[in-house]
Amino acid sequence: MSYEQQSADVAALIENTREIEMELAPKRAALQEKLKKREAREKDESKMFRRFKIKDIVFLAIITACTLLTSAIMPLLIHVPVFGIIQLGLGLQFSIFPVIGLMKVRKAGSMTIMGVFIALFLVMMFPPMALIAVCAVVVELLVFLFFRSYKNDWACVMAGTLYMPLTVPLLYLYYNVNYTVTGAENEAVSMFLGGTDPWVIVGMTVAILALCFVGSVVGMLISRELKKAGVLKK
Amino acid sequence: MSFFKFKSKLYPLVAIFGSLFLIIFGLVLARNENLPWYLLGAFVWLCLFGCAKGCLKVLIPFIIFGGAFAGIAYASAGGDTAAAVSMLNRFGALFLGAALSMSVAAVRMTRSLSEVHMPRAITLGMLISMSFVPMLKGEVGRVREAMRTRGAGSVLNPKILYRAFLVPFVMRLVNISDTLALSVETRGFTLGPSLYTIYKKEYPALSDVLFLLGLLAGAVLVIVL
Repeated sequence: MSYEQQSADVAALIENTREIEMELAPKRAALQEKLKKREAREKDESKMFRRFKIKDIVFLAIITACTLLTSAIMPLLIHVPVFGIIQLGLGLQFSIFPVIGLMKVRKAGSMTIMGVFIALFLVMMFPPMALIAVCAVVVELLVFLFFRSYKNDWACVMAGTLYMPLTVPLLYLYYNVNYTVTGAENEAVSMFLGGTDPWVIVGMTVAILALCFVGSVVGMLISRELKKAGVLKK
Repeated sequence: MSFFKFKSKLYPLVAIFGSLFLIIFGLVLARNENLPWYLLGAFVWLCLFGCAKGCLKVLIPFIIFGGAFAGIAYASAGGDTAAAVSMLNRFGALFLGAALSMSVAAVRMTRSLSEVHMPRAITLGMLISMSFVPMLKGEVGRVREAMRTRGAGSVLNPKILYRAFLVPFVMRLVNISDTLALSVETRGFTLGPSLYTIYKKEYPALSDVLFLLGLLAGAVLVIVL
């Protein structure tokens, strides 16, 4: 091949590459723009809908492990026929730890992720409680309705306070299906601790709400202290 | 083919399904007089399929807690033995389900979930939550040891519990989480839609099918007889 022929081929290749580059330039620019926007959104703390990073998932998973470890008494509590006993036994730990999780990972979906993680384990302890994941979604919607984000510490407290009490209707359903409908045991259960008395239901619900509120405030105080100490970095 | 091998360990998803089935079936049919025999059979069945260790682990808690609650039910029902037996049935089903789910290692569960294309965030979270529990026990021990060394007092005092236990404990958790996140990232975990391969795949085998069929056949017998 002559030198001129080679030069012509090289020039054609270069031209071809330039053409491809020119064709790709707008796409590349758009991608760069998209990446910049995403980065800016990630950095913008005021935005609620940000992508989860691995460190967020890891922290939420660890918080879930803490919640689960402290809720190991649940398999025993489910057999105590007192209305709301599960929520009363677990209210404190199910409000302290989720609030700490929310105050570190202030992103939309944090509560749902914790709910899903917890549900995956609770389903093996007591299947009806797996619906706690649905409660997490409802709590998140309520928080967005009132606060629009988790930026405010009290939004986290609200989420922590409502998380466990929202499972009370599930428990009511369980009692109705598993005890009341099954027959002969119903009398024993009613005599035992008055599980079907409406005042017991009201009293227990108020007690659970109060306990969860206290737990949430404790969680908020712990998080504030850690933030002050510089441990709770974003 | 590997499907026709008798594996000593159950396929994780089969174990979880079996565990759920045992719990729900036990809770719903707690009053059935045939259920104790079914649970006894399930205990032996589980031991045969590689869950003997888990079954033995839950045996003592079952005797203690099941016995205590059966006693309460017996007393509250005015000496009704059926109430006590149904309470024992509930505990039996629950503990058997727990033994079955405990037999699945966290890493095997994660592999199985990855195979069924579960989102990475969930498999990663589950892996961490499952394998972090023993580590947490160690951390609690360390914080309590530090409390003893400093002469902080009893954890039963709410002020001491908050200041000397909860705050240092959560501080440790945050530090561990940061280190763990870095470690996970350096090992190539991403949450994005990137391609990944499963180093050691989990496959269901004939023994898994046999295990489930055994549980289901027993359940049918409980209902029919």
